[in-house]
Amino acid sequence: MSEHTASATTRPSARKRYKRIAYGLLGVGILALGIAIALNRFVLGVALYWAGGIGMGLVQRFSPVDLYDERDTTIEREAGNDTMTLFAYVFVLGAPGGLVLEESAVVTLPGEFYGAMWTLFAVFVAYGAFVFYHKYRL
Amino acid sequence: MRNDLNDRRAATGESQADLAAAVGVTRQTINAIERERYDPSLELAFALADHFDCRVKDLFEPDG
Repeated sequence: MSEHTASATTRPSARKRYKRIAYGLLGVGILALGIAIALNRFVLGVALYWAGGIGMGLVQRFSPVDLYDERDTTIEREAGNDTMTLFAYVFVLGAPGGLVLEESAVVTLPGEFYGAMWTLFAVFVAYGAFVFYHKYRL
Repeated sequence: MRNDLNDRRAATGESQADLAAAVGVTRQTINAIERERYDPSLELAFALADHFDCRVKDLFEPDG
């Protein structure tokens, strides 16, 4: 490996540096939230957590280099699709399945089950709305 | 999509990081394209062709 290649691959790029700053700010915010909760300082903890999140957003928005390239975007899109597919199975099988089991007196479902199913229903309604929106944009 | 990016890059003596910096993506993206695990966007395909001073169809060939 040439000297030039070695330096190019070992020196963190600007993109990496700004990504580290962005995720570092969020990490510090989460850590501060954990410490503040342990010390019973909830409001301070949430304020520091938000500050970390906003700091991350500001670095992502105003960094001089793009922090994500097209492959990152593709990875996120495919991960999102896989997540939606997984929870579609959970919803499509879980909602009627749970109701049948409850009606058959096989199990008594906790209220959390219905809360989870209504949440999934809301997520898929939102997903459908965005599909509709983008369908007319593209 | 098949491509000869690796050979062209080797011919110019560039590292993946050098090429990535030249076309504005990450080194991992160049690596994924070379291993034919990721198909670049048209924009990136044109940037790569421009970089190697060739046509997109000289660089990439559809599977099958």
